Amino acid sequence: MKINLKILSILLLICGFGATGQIKIGDTIPVKKLEYGVDNQINFNQFKGKYVLVDFWASWCGPCRLGNKKLVKLHAELNPNLIEIVGISLDTDANKWKKAIERDKIKFAQFNDPHGFDAETALLFGVDELPTQFLFNRKGELIIKNPTEEEIINLIKK
Amino acid sequence: MKFFNITYIVLGVIAIFSSNKVNAQISKAEIRATGLTCSMCSNAINKQLKSLPEVVNVETDLNTNTFVVSLAEGNALTPLIFKQKVEKAGFFIGSLIVTVDSETVMKNPYIIVKDSGNKPKQIQVQVLDKGFVTEKEFKKLVKSYKSVATFISNNEDDFHVKILN
Repeated sequence: MKINLKILSILLLICGFGATGQIKIGDTIPVKKLEYGVDNQINFNQFKGKYVLVDFWASWCGPCRLGNKKLVKLHAELNPNLIEIVGISLDTDANKWKKAIERDKIKFAQFNDPHGFDAETALLFGVDELPTQFLFNRKGELIIKNPTEEEIINLIKK
Repeated sequence: MKFFNITYIVLGVIAIFSSNKVNAQISKAEIRATGLTCSMCSNAINKQLKSLPEVVNVETDLNTNTFVVSLAEGNALTPLIFKQKVEKAGFFIGSLIVTVDSETVMKNPYIIVKDSGNKPKQIQVQVLDKGFVTEKEFKKLVKSYKSVATFISNNEDDFHVKILN
């Protein structure tokens, strides 16, 4: 019986995790501060009052690397007082992550959650494929999932 | 009479289950998935594979775009389940290499079409049937093995394999 209870609680835990799912429109940023070592941190509180675009990617993900190029261009065009771009990489190898940042000439904020799809941030946001982007408004509420460049630009211009 | 029928059915079911246990001992499966999008960029295949109770661990090899699946001892899985799971995730199998014990591969449901001559205890075999290789490769294989009637008939319950080691 004891064992059964244990199994049941483990099952419940797993189901609980599964039930978190993907964040929905209107939900607030599911995490305030990301920290993994000294030089790998991001504090979402510092972006208060700005739009925030969170981009999940990985160095080995071809479509993400193409996306990086577009994001770098977009980042240079956008007013940094209005919007912040935050890249979250799921690379398990931090060196490959750093190399990719260098190669893609990324200047916006970056965080590495080194556990692939099992990474805590991936679970919190409900990321099941790469790339995935989330655009939050000035209040930190999710307004668009996987926005187009146009959508972002139009919103900032408003 | 009825009693006998039931007895036979029960015995039959037991026989199937026990024979499966002895028959199909895959310890590892290496799956390369293909599709229109980047297969490694999706967690779907991983999730589908992990939903199998026989699966102990799934590792991804990012250099070869391969999912390496470790299976529990004494499982009764056949290669078919990997095809079903990958397709359920929205992808296709580009290649499937399974590690099995040599005794297993000598029997049903496996049919060896290309032997290496070696017989180590654990052997690696590639499944060559439709849906386990790319379309292009399958077309070539059909030409190579046109004399193998079971290969041409595309039966889902037998697996034509090439021994790799």
